[in-house]
Amino acid sequence: MLRFDRRLIHNFDWVMVVVLLLVSAMSLASLFSSTWAGGPDPSPIFYKQLYFFLLGFALILMTVCIDYNELEKLAYLAYGGICILLLYTNFFVSTVAGTQRWINLGFFNLQPSEPAKLIMVLVLASCYAYNDVGTSGFRIRDLIKPGILTAVPFILILIQPDLGTALMLGIIFVSMTLFAKLRLGTMAILASAGAGGAFIGWKYLLKDYQRRRIETFLHPESDPMNHGYQIKQSKIAVGSGEGFGKGFMEGTQGHLNFLPERHTDFAFAVWCEELGFAGSLFFLSCYFFMLLWGMYIALTARDKFGVMLAFGLVMLIFWQAVINLFMIMGFLPVVGIPLPLFSYGGSSLMTTLLAIGLLMNIRMRRFQKPEVR
Amino acid sequence: MKNLRKQNRKRPRPSENIDCRRDAGKKTKITHYDEGELDCFRRRALYSSVVLIVFFAIIITRLWYLQIQHGEEYRLLAKNNRVRNLQITAPRGNILDRKGRDIVTNRPSFNVVWVREDNKVDDELIKKMARLLDIDISELLTRMRKMAGTPGHIPIRLADDIEWSKVAYIENNRMNLPGIKIEVLPRRVYHYGNLASHVIGYLGEISRKELDKADPEIYQGGDQVGKMGLERLREADLRGEKGQHYMEVNARGFEQRNLKGFEPMPGNDIQLTIDVDLQRAAEEMMMEADNSGAVVAIEVNSGRLLTLTSSPVLELDKFIGGISYKNWNAMLANPHHPLINKVVQGQYPPASTYKIVTALAGLAEGVIQPETMIYCPGFYKFGNRTYRCWKHSGHGAVDLQRALSESCDVYFYQVGQRLGVDRLAGYARRVGLGKKTGVEMEHEKKGLIPTADWKKQRYNKVWQEGETLSVAIGQGFDLVTPLQLALMTATVANGGTLYKPSLIETVRNPDGKIIEQFTPTVLDRLKGQDKNLQLVKSALIEAVNGKHGTGRRARLKNITVAGKTGTAQVVRLKQYKHLKEEDIPYKYRDHAWFTCFAPAEKPEIAVSVIVEHGLHGGSTAAPIAKAVLEQYFGDRLDDPEELTTVVLPGRLLITEN
Repeated sequence: MLRFDRRLIHNFDWVMVVVLLLVSAMSLASLFSSTWAGGPDPSPIFYKQLYFFLLGFALILMTVCIDYNELEKLAYLAYGGICILLLYTNFFVSTVAGTQRWINLGFFNLQPSEPAKLIMVLVLASCYAYNDVGTSGFRIRDLIKPGILTAVPFILILIQPDLGTALMLGIIFVSMTLFAKLRLGTMAILASAGAGGAFIGWKYLLKDYQRRRIETFLHPESDPMNHGYQIKQSKIAVGSGEGFGKGFMEGTQGHLNFLPERHTDFAFAVWCEELGFAGSLFFLSCYFFMLLWGMYIALTARDKFGVMLAFGLVMLIFWQAVINLFMIMGFLPVVGIPLPLFSYGGSSLMTTLLAIGLLMNIRMRRFQKPEVR
Repeated sequence: MKNLRKQNRKRPRPSENIDCRRDAGKKTKITHYDEGELDCFRRRALYSSVVLIVFFAIIITRLWYLQIQHGEEYRLLAKNNRVRNLQITAPRGNILDRKGRDIVTNRPSFNVVWVREDNKVDDELIKKMARLLDIDISELLTRMRKMAGTPGHIPIRLADDIEWSKVAYIENNRMNLPGIKIEVLPRRVYHYGNLASHVIGYLGEISRKELDKADPEIYQGGDQVGKMGLERLREADLRGEKGQHYMEVNARGFEQRNLKGFEPMPGNDIQLTIDVDLQRAAEEMMMEADNSGAVVAIEVNSGRLLTLTSSPVLELDKFIGGISYKNWNAMLANPHHPLINKVVQGQYPPASTYKIVTALAGLAEGVIQPETMIYCPGFYKFGNRTYRCWKHSGHGAVDLQRALSESCDVYFYQVGQRLGVDRLAGYARRVGLGKKTGVEMEHEKKGLIPTADWKKQRYNKVWQEGETLSVAIGQGFDLVTPLQLALMTATVANGGTLYKPSLIETVRNPDGKIIEQFTPTVLDRLKGQDKNLQLVKSALIEAVNGKHGTGRRARLKNITVAGKTGTAQVVRLKQYKHLKEEDIPYKYRDHAWFTCFAPAEKPEIAVSVIVEHGLHGGSTAAPIAKAVLEQYFGDRLDDPEELTTVVLPGRLLITEN
């Protein structure tokens, strides 16, 4: 099945590879620092993440071999699979820290909501790419199918409950729908419906702790030892890095446990603390260059599905990054969204690396002739 | 962006792609190809890039704001997060006697403290600690409550000065006692027990009121500060400078590592002029007989105080770690008034000891001559009142020598009458009576040497001449403190120089550098009175050494003591007249005085003793003075050889007749 085209190697996306390796190296360095517990050896967490990176790179190599249009055919199959996994998680998995998110696979705990995001991008890209509505844009009824497709995993994830990931699905749906072009009237109706939905959601659907997080964010002094405390400590960590940081492995906020979740959600705060503005600027420049390169891949994709897919994948990484960074810098309340490629966590890392693999896939096949249906 | 677009346009047409056919053979389904629609999408992707860049800019701006603009603030916050400082109490300065012997020093004591950051109030822990330390749970809770509201890293003291075995137990069970730590604090050691307790004073925890006034850089709640005596008056010298211990803690407050701090600086050492041996001799004499009173010994030629005894002494160990209400009230209720430092706060009529002043004033003013004879029938009639001599049978004809040595009241009634109250008072003041001496002791009383003006001001009444008679023999309004009387005796002994009494010889900083050194301070000098003073002295020698002397019990072997007794009436009540002295209620008995100096030929030391309600100076007070003198002269009592170097024989004894 895999007839390998030599020009695929010729068109291999070396730019993405270089940027990805750069970002990965920084991510691993930061993880090494934040999980280091004294002694000569890095922590087991570091090794675990390193193996995930290696596994992820292998997955990328496999992904780029298959034309993304072939993968599109698998999208609905994967969609069905993930919905079953999410259902399974919700009903048969024991509760960890108040939520049901992980399926124990023996060697690692799979968080199905992570790949669900990626599969949603695939499904939506396929959905919008083949729904030809011309230049006028989508009507409400054109949105019913993608809407329902999004709503199923969205609700399944929401009842885990994992507000952050569910929100991400919503954001991806909105981004991709807007990208696919809506009619002005449709947009107006949806906007007002969204506002109403948000109100109802706040009133009736949110769990108490979720509502408290948002309230805490708006009035940080009301809860100084919990989520307000986390944000405060995160801001202190970032701010105290100043221009050039406290030095690699020299951070005090992280190493002395003032910073919560210092290798997961707040991992980037450790980087900021230890390497300062200079280090953070360098990392973010690499990171955003990677995203812009992804956007450039969308720009140069050979077909509509490629554009839609590349755009969705960039949005998937971009919005998670923005939300995470905003949280670290005190712009947003604590929502459990990791910084892709940087926060510790196997499911998120694999998903992100797969997404990048898909981007490279699209990039490599930009010259191949589209077939007229 | 422009480049991107250009590249777009240059993008090779699909038809130019030679290999498309090979792909076409595959089943790969490629979406509908519409260049126009694709361009539309591409434009949107371009706009999206702008969105990306905008967000990137926002994030970088925020980073700049946090790290560059407010970086210093956050760095300070981070430092406050992790760095805690603890003050290390400095050891207080030592207090030594004149010969360099330690009176008060420090030793390490072990206290149990609880660091709140480590865990919240845990009932189990409190119960465990109460059992371990053998104290009430309620007391532990009181101590915790007292510290409520103070910063969390400041430890709460649960028990002071625990035994070594408990220290060992706690150290061995650290893991089971989270937050419990052993704190080592310097603690006062009193090498001679309660010796000179009124002089030295005691320490106590700083009170809220003191804390409000104090410099927060120096004092914190829970500090020990001097509450009385030199510990209070010389607090600034003794306290030293606290050290600082900086430590890095983690989010739960556990110490992670030590950071550089600085060591505490011990306080200055104070060397007293007081001699431990003399002080102890005086205190033992007073305490043995259960006497209440005071003993003052002073170096006559400098004003150094050798002994300052107020009896009963304070029991210093009751004050360590704060005195209980029970003990405090018991002290207040004690009829011997242990809380009063009688050396400077006890005011008594000087009684017959005041005759020294009256004699001196009479000679100096020329109202009497050494050979002036006055007949004493046992009483003296003045106006319509009869003033009695203590010897009801009378002394017969007496000159100054006999009048003073046998303490004839009638003689001095007449001297006083001839002098008048104001002239007498003038001399009294010049030998140190009726005004504060300025010694470093608290709440010093002035005593009282009355004048006509004083009575006018105080009572708005004219001075009665009869009152002068009482004053002349040291009764009536006259009041002196034991220290003043010792000062008077020293002034007479040294030929008329009034020195400021002092009890501090040197103050040394921890490096041993002297920062304060005693030098004699002359407050007043009686000029041209050498001859008169010699006359008074010889009478005082007779009072101790003569056949009829009142102070015979103070005689020493080989050393000539000169002295004067006094019996101060507390009340004059007819109902006690017929009673034997022992039957008079304690509080109505007379005070017993004895004041003396030695060696008479070349005086070195003056000693004044008052025994409250001791009845007779000669029998009660003189032996105490003798004990102090014996201690002072030591070997010289047995070795007359040593005396020849100091004694000037004959010259002073000319008036013996």
